[in-house]
Amino acid sequence: MRSPLVKFAAVCTVLALTAAACGSDKKSSTAGSTGTTVKATAGSTGGSTTATGGAAKDFGGAKVLITGPERDDPSAGAINAVLQTWGKTRGLDITYAGDADWEANINTQVQGGNPPDIGIFPQPGKLAEFARAKSIKPLADNVTASIKKFWSPDYSNYANVDGVQYGVPVKTDLKSLVWYQPDKFKAKGYKVPTTFDEFTALVKKMAADGGPKPLCVGIESGTATGWPFTDWTEEMVLRQDGGDVYNQWVEHKISFNDPKIVKAMDTVLGLWSKDNVFASGGNIAATNFGDNAQALFDGKCYMHRQASFFSGFFPKGTKFADGSAGAVDVFYFPDINGDKPVLTAGTYAAGFNDKAATMAVLEYMSTADYAQKRQAEQTKLLNGGLSGFLSAAIGQDPSVYQPLEQGFLKILSESKLSRFDGSDQMPAAVGAGTFWTLGTSAVNGDLTAQKAADQIEASWPK
Amino acid sequence: MHKVLSTLLTVLVAVGASALIWVAANMVFNQVRHQWRRFTAMAFAAVGFLVGVLLSGNRITKNSQGGFLSWVWLPLLLAVIFAAIGVVLESTSDTRRRQGVGVSSGVLLGVGVGLLVRKQYHPAIDIVALLGWTVGGAALVGAVNLVRKRSLVTGALVGAAVGSILGGWGSAAIGAGSAGGAMVATLIPAVLAGTRLGFTNNPNLQARARIEQRSRGVIFLTPAMLFIFITLIVPTIRTIYLSFLDKSSEAFVAFDNYVNTFSDRVSWDASHWTNMFTSRLFIIGAIVLAIAVVVGVVSKRRTGRAVEIGNPTVGPLLVGFFLVAFAVFTSFRGTIVNNLWWVVTVVFAATAMGLAIAVLADNAKNEKVAKSLIFMPLAISLVGASVIWRFMYVPRDTSTEQTGTLNALWVGLGRLSTGSGLPTIFVGVLVGCILLGLIVYMSRALARSQPTRTIVPGIGFVLLAWFFVRYTGLIGDGVGGFDITASGQVVPRAISFVQESPFNNFWLMVILIWIQTGFAMVILSAAIKAVPGELLEAARVDGGTPSQIFWRITLPQIGTTIGVVVTTLIVLVMKVFDIVKVVTNGNFGTQVLANDMFAQAFQFGNTGRGAALAVILFVSVLPVMYYNIRRMQKGN
Repeated sequence: MRSPLVKFAAVCTVLALTAAACGSDKKSSTAGSTGTTVKATAGSTGGSTTATGGAAKDFGGAKVLITGPERDDPSAGAINAVLQTWGKTRGLDITYAGDADWEANINTQVQGGNPPDIGIFPQPGKLAEFARAKSIKPLADNVTASIKKFWSPDYSNYANVDGVQYGVPVKTDLKSLVWYQPDKFKAKGYKVPTTFDEFTALVKKMAADGGPKPLCVGIESGTATGWPFTDWTEEMVLRQDGGDVYNQWVEHKISFNDPKIVKAMDTVLGLWSKDNVFASGGNIAATNFGDNAQALFDGKCYMHRQASFFSGFFPKGTKFADGSAGAVDVFYFPDINGDKPVLTAGTYAAGFNDKAATMAVLEYMSTADYAQKRQAEQTKLLNGGLSGFLSAAIGQDPSVYQPLEQGFLKILSESKLSRFDGSDQMPAAVGAGTFWTLGTSAVNGDLTAQKAADQIEASWPK
Repeated sequence: MHKVLSTLLTVLVAVGASALIWVAANMVFNQVRHQWRRFTAMAFAAVGFLVGVLLSGNRITKNSQGGFLSWVWLPLLLAVIFAAIGVVLESTSDTRRRQGVGVSSGVLLGVGVGLLVRKQYHPAIDIVALLGWTVGGAALVGAVNLVRKRSLVTGALVGAAVGSILGGWGSAAIGAGSAGGAMVATLIPAVLAGTRLGFTNNPNLQARARIEQRSRGVIFLTPAMLFIFITLIVPTIRTIYLSFLDKSSEAFVAFDNYVNTFSDRVSWDASHWTNMFTSRLFIIGAIVLAIAVVVGVVSKRRTGRAVEIGNPTVGPLLVGFFLVAFAVFTSFRGTIVNNLWWVVTVVFAATAMGLAIAVLADNAKNEKVAKSLIFMPLAISLVGASVIWRFMYVPRDTSTEQTGTLNALWVGLGRLSTGSGLPTIFVGVLVGCILLGLIVYMSRALARSQPTRTIVPGIGFVLLAWFFVRYTGLIGDGVGGFDITASGQVVPRAISFVQESPFNNFWLMVILIWIQTGFAMVILSAAIKAVPGELLEAARVDGGTPSQIFWRITLPQIGTTIGVVVTTLIVLVMKVFDIVKVVTNGNFGTQVLANDMFAQAFQFGNTGRGAALAVILFVSVLPVMYYNIRRMQKGN
């Protein structure tokens, strides 16, 4: 006789016991974690309730953890040193931890309910995404007030999501720079161009003169190949059509294959003709963007347009902006309509909670004091070298910057129009996807600018 | 640190508890044969405990919201009650009394648990849904039982019990109902299950022995099945599910992701397909195929067979197909086409070269050294190999020296070919001498009327002769990396191996061929060594030439192994990711499915599209896997 019941019961028992084992572990671990969260919030609310304290308030050793993508020793060291020195005066224990894969890891941390107190976002798009998902908290009034004091809306607005300020600008990269060697210019009698027409005329003249090529260009960058082309395109859109069209383009209010954008791409590709460009990798798409520094230094070309961080790519011992022979300097990538637009990028700090301690740290990070102290500290850690750090905070003491960096600050302060790197704000499928890859195809000559723009438009997520 | 410790502890407890449960389950089933009552009590207690854990562990019942002890009482209590029910049930064989015990314990437990349900969990009973689910469940399981020739009534009861739980709890608004609702929702399934319990009998010794035997299989298999279920089946189902949702996995979009994938120019671009017919590869391939046909007709007349393994038709046939395939793949562009191209090229080249090396190295001097060297690349990670080859492919501006190995050779050859110094003349004379040697060899073979022996040297001669006339400038200006400017000046020209579409795909494939040839060689070499010596001996005695022995004896003998190598390689190449990621990241028209999947899902945040690509990849690998597994089973 066969008894289905007992068989059923037997299988059930085995399954049940196994399930009970898994189930009970899960139970206990969730119970544990909820317990700690409750404790943590209790601690913070107990710590202080008045966020708008203003004057030196003591937090009694509250811990604040900051994470961000900057991981190199001078940067991370300077951030830690400055914040810890300041934190001591306020009874705060602040730690900054750099993470090379921050953008991927922060998602996991947020999903796992384990985010840091403050995250430093390299892209406003990601910040907006987190704000809309309510993962990061709106800034307290004292922080927004401080931002108003120290930052132009051109910078802070990128961390403003649907009218609410979520992020504090903490670092600025200036992109609209052309690197050159003044003594090479002097030797040939070339003048630094002040308008875009002068720039193109200069390029034409240099090409006609033979010898070194006018421009060094290379857009290879491993898995991010193509981004220098997007930078150039953004510069041209900003110059040819102004800030409003730029915004419409970035927000997809005009299509990507709008004649204006195609024209900008064509201008770039026209400038990058074979006669104008030296590419140490044989062609532009095969040349690593960093290799252009050596080529410029070796006198293979006269000019190279690249952002402020590029100083770090020049060979050891390169002199910057000190008038000596072979020294490297920058000039502003000239404009067309006289509004001196600058293309920038930068990082934004945002809080994953609204504890008073978190907000106090964010408030401090928005000040000019933080920027200039970090600059001083980072220069010190590099034994007086160029820090690679730059901030557009208003009211910094320029003397903490080196001559070349003072030049950056001057360009920033003289500009009347500033726009954040557009590809960083577009959806990743375009800004870190087709704009790079199809742009590269256009540079490589596989596609015309029109065709590339058409295909990028088609790839824009609906 | 605290987190690390607590995680470690959790893992330890979980592993320990799982092991304990496994041992305990075995011990419980040790009782089946001779201690039926004890077994019943234990099994019922275990089920009762589980029911209790589900109820109070999920904080469904009262007094369960506190710490550990606050919820563990109910499982213990239920374990005791269930054990008692089991014992009572076991003590009688009278059907009516068993039915009474089953139903009354169902009522008792239903009412008891119903009273214990917390207010937040009172379900708002939807009578229609409850009845629908109950009847539906009864019908479904009852029908299954009918098909399996089991009792309809018991099946219907089980189905109704499960259905009533789903209907009473699953489709009701939890927390919006009343205590009465909770009572209904617990009582109905409990009574149904109790009734079903009443239909059982106490098994006799024979049946018990069978139970014990079968239980072992289940107990031993469960951990492995659970592991596979959690790590393989659940993710697969979830990926398929995600592929039907939009990019943030919120809205259902049906087949949009698949339609978009296939209609996207990035995946499939046939706009230049007419280029195929004008491509040089296609023309050469077509000529080679034509030669194969001619040879086939001749051989048909002579031996009665147009194509057989080892027949001179096979060589041109394969080469011709290969060339035409290249022409097709370079005209149709896109991710899917690239993947197919990868499969055809890498699988064919790696297997063919692996086989050739295995055969040539077999019993040769220094066989082990040679095979170790060829096998070595397999020990290099794909990423490492990609980085190495990227350096080999690097072009530099021609005003500087080339740093990439291949470009240095190519540009160097160009310099040699267009130069007029001593090295240039030396190379020219050397090549000329080799050509003369080949002519002499072939004419001797023809004189001895052995035309088949001229085939391989003949191909070599044609290729080398072409090189010679190009090198010396008899046709064109020379060979190698150089350009001649308008002013007649000779300037070097490097090849951008990685950037020049579509053949950059081929240069990426070379990396994988380089790695996988070693794999194919090792497996095939082992197979060749396993070919019975008597067979080869017999063939030799019968006067077979080495080539005949290879094509007609060795090759058919290792056919299965070749099949294994080919299918393994197909699966591996379909999933190619690392090389493309490192060298081009899909730029310059080298995108493949796996890299596109990664980019879509993890860089562009389009989970739906990424999942769809994963499913496409999975489905396209499936037939090969199926074929492979089937053959393995047949082999056994």
